[in-house]
Amino acid sequence: MRLIATRLVRQLVLVPVVAVASYFLMAALPLTTESDNKRQVSPELAASYQRDLGIGEPLGFLRPWEKLFSGERLGTSAQGITGDELLQKLSGSVGVGLVALPLALAWAVGFALLRTRWRRGRFAVLGDVLPAIAFGTPVFIPALLLAPAVVERGHLLPELCAAVVIAIWPGTFLGTLVGDALETELSRDYVRTALSKGLDPGTVLRRHVLPNVWPALLDAVTPVATALLAGSFAAERVFGLPYFGQLYVLAVLNKQVAVVVVSTTTFATVLVVVSLTVELLRMLVDPRAREARA
Amino acid sequence: MSRIPLRAWVGLVLLVGLGALSLVAGRLFPEALANTCPLGWDLNRPDRSVCELAFGGLWVSLAIGLAAGALSTVLGLAVAALARLSGGVTEQVLLRAVDAVFALPDVLVVMVLQLAGQSLMDAGMGGGLGPFGLMVTSLALVGWAGPARMFRDRLATLEGQEYVAAARALGGGGVHVLRVHLWPLLRPFVLAVFLSRLPSAILTESTVSFFGIARMEPMSLGRYLGTSYAALIYEGGGRVVIPAWGLLVLLVLGASLASQALGGGSRREV
Repeated sequence: MRLIATRLVRQLVLVPVVAVASYFLMAALPLTTESDNKRQVSPELAASYQRDLGIGEPLGFLRPWEKLFSGERLGTSAQGITGDELLQKLSGSVGVGLVALPLALAWAVGFALLRTRWRRGRFAVLGDVLPAIAFGTPVFIPALLLAPAVVERGHLLPELCAAVVIAIWPGTFLGTLVGDALETELSRDYVRTALSKGLDPGTVLRRHVLPNVWPALLDAVTPVATALLAGSFAAERVFGLPYFGQLYVLAVLNKQVAVVVVSTTTFATVLVVVSLTVELLRMLVDPRAREARA
Repeated sequence: MSRIPLRAWVGLVLLVGLGALSLVAGRLFPEALANTCPLGWDLNRPDRSVCELAFGGLWVSLAIGLAAGALSTVLGLAVAALARLSGGVTEQVLLRAVDAVFALPDVLVVMVLQLAGQSLMDAGMGGGLGPFGLMVTSLALVGWAGPARMFRDRLATLEGQEYVAAARALGGGGVHVLRVHLWPLLRPFVLAVFLSRLPSAILTESTVSFFGIARMEPMSLGRYLGTSYAALIYEGGGRVVIPAWGLLVLLVLGASLASQALGGGSRREV
């Protein structure tokens, strides 16, 4: 229990660190130069940014979060958003990520099983080539290829396509890991023993092998969850989905500094929650993890 | 030489070949490329052929990947060496910092760093850092944590060997052991980690450039695809996307093959 609490504290410390780091980074931006560069903000807008960030006020660094919780609009123009709108957009992105996660897991298990089978046959090369194609493909490329057929149609099709597109890389990554773990387990003595005692291969796989493979899968779920959520930024941009990724990119492009500060912190919080959940799940399903930590 | 696995050779030849091709086709003889390009002209920039943009972009992407990969590897190596040399609380603090940076998504942090860097450059405070330097620095600042963790773990494993304990018992200091006994064993692993950072840096740069946040000229593959995307959606244009995609895949394939083979080779040596 103490170890779980330590883990919790370690992870949660990340959130204020990100909050303070992103605040001071944004607050330090030199937005008030005399340059006539068109990307520069006007003196009025720069002053507005400083008010928005609470620069010069006592405990000014809390200003973006005060505005967030009091329901005020974050940001200096009409593109600024309220806390409720931020949550709504975040739930859209998380929703796409949650649809993508089972797709990625299904693709991972399927790919791992196929890879194990291919290894003995003439398709062995596919086990190496498919991951290379998936790893070398940024999310926006399949999205771009699908977009002309999808972007004009509604009825959640863009959301579903975004989920499919962002599940490709994590699914292949997980599949490679699970495939390697599966291969290691299949070569162990207990599998040979079970088969020689007359158990059919399906039962051996389901009852004996897979329980030993799940921990490897769970170890990789945290980076995959990060990839799913961050990957949705590009897919949202291409499919025109008005969720958190789109909001974040526009906030950066339009220099909505308070929105960037709060969004970065919110995103880090989501990642911490995901990481903790996976950690707890890992301890729940894998007795060896509990013993290792005890 | 014979200890380098075949897969690593294939990967390295692919990388060097792509680099040479992008230099010759994209930088030295762009006119010849423009005149013979079977893919036609870019939808948004009719003055340039798709091949010119793809191979020119490949050169920029490769240069960014190499520079950012090298810088993040050096940073990671320095942090790992510092952690192992200090030990105790300093090592734990450094490891927690590594965890914190590692937990954040690259794309999101690079976007923030680009915003900050561009504001500094606009204010004339960029210290001579152009868009290329800014992108390399941003990628290195988010990319050092992975190498640092890998190098630290590898150093901890190598330090467990008997001859290292003997060197310490004979009075060898931390820096001496690191320089004379550990570094030769770590070298192939450093190369493998550097090659594994290459695709990651290129893909992160491509995604950030695709959003239109980076201002690099000449355009990288990601920025080229980003500037073409509206035309792609409304007019269709696989011919514009597929060459750049193919080059990215080949680049990542080369780096992955070399990195995996060298990483596996150095693991077997230990």
